[in-house]
Amino acid sequence: MTRLISCLAASLVVAVVPATAAEDRRERVLNDRKEIEASGQWIYNDLPKGFAEAARTRKPMLVVFRCIP
Amino acid sequence: MDGFVCVRLVQANAMDLTLFQFDYDLTFAAFFLNADRTIYGRYGSRSDRKDATRDMSMEGFRAALESALDLHKDYPSNKALLAGKQGRPRQFKLPEEFPSLAGKYKPTLDYEGKVVQSCMHCHQVHDAERRLFRDDRKPIPDEVLYPWPMPNTVGLKLDAREKATVAEVVSGSAADLSGFKAGDVIQTVERQPILSTADVQWALHNAGQPASLKTQVLRGGKKLNLTLNLGTGWRRQSDIGWRVTTWDLRRMAAGGLVLDELTPEERSNAKLSDKELALRVKHVGQYGEHAAAKRAGFKEDDILITVAGDSARMTENELLARLVQTRMPGEKIAVTVFRAAGRVELELPMQ
Repeated sequence: MTRLISCLAASLVVAVVPATAAEDRRERVLNDRKEIEASGQWIYNDLPKGFAEAARTRKPMLVVFRCIP
Repeated sequence: MDGFVCVRLVQANAMDLTLFQFDYDLTFAAFFLNADRTIYGRYGSRSDRKDATRDMSMEGFRAALESALDLHKDYPSNKALLAGKQGRPRQFKLPEEFPSLAGKYKPTLDYEGKVVQSCMHCHQVHDAERRLFRDDRKPIPDEVLYPWPMPNTVGLKLDAREKATVAEVVSGSAADLSGFKAGDVIQTVERQPILSTADVQWALHNAGQPASLKTQVLRGGKKLNLTLNLGTGWRRQSDIGWRVTTWDLRRMAAGGLVLDELTPEERSNAKLSDKELALRVKHVGQYGEHAAAKRAGFKEDDILITVAGDSARMTENELLARLVQTRMPGEKIAVTVFRAAGRVELELPMQ
């Protein structure tokens, strides 16, 4: 359950928490990749890799589109 | 969560539009799908400009994820039930094929260089869809102008904490007249298993005008079949004011003006009845085509009282929709405004 909450937070909460004023958009884009990849649970911006992994593991896919404001 | 392969995409560049059909005005949207590209469901809804999360919740998202896992367990025996959830044929497979986006973006982001500028936003796909019609001097059809109607468009308020449970039915609405009740759990629409509000929106998005949608709800533990009857023009009840793409509609039909209806008190002070047009200029665009109204003499706090000879009450949405469906680029529309000095006659350029 902890992993579930963690993953939901990464996909949904991270999506809606506003960035601080000090961060500019470039930083937010770069930090998003860094932080999400560091979580170890997400394939970042690589859909073919996701399809290949889903085919290999026979798991369903969760594909999240997130526009970084 | 170990049950899913999780993929995060932060760009619309090279997005497969035949697969990923969702409300492109969203800043967060999710798909649950099989490795063979079969879509189990969608998640992500919005109806407010400032509050992007009002129509979403952790509980609702988790419920949708769990239902997606259930569908995956039964797959492919349930494939026929999922047929209606799959993407529809599209004119262009990639966003970059739209004329207004062609040649502007590469398939991948430039992380080493200008990463922000290299990123195509999802809403640009919706902008490009509408420009196809406008640039061809054709009316923008309702299906494009009012995409992804929220269930409240037909009188259904869904509980964001659940998959698709009816919190309230608006009296006299299409849903009310079709027999929906508060507490109903929507199980299927047009035989499609419903995992979320977004799944209901998908069914509405693809419905005609008029339409009859076969639905199944769970009421008091029993399954009940209902037909949601939608009349001609039902989509026009959809609020598009929150959408980022409405900004471009304002360029097309309002020369960059942002308009707001007067309050009852302001109407009374201006001696305007509640049946008359009364749209205040809240913002005047300052640059490029968004400054067309400014160049035509419009000013902040002007009150539009007649547009193209019509002084009937309209919201900003209704005015924009009417103009992009009836007036083409290059035309100039006669507008009467109230300002401190009295009535002023102006011409609003269509673009």
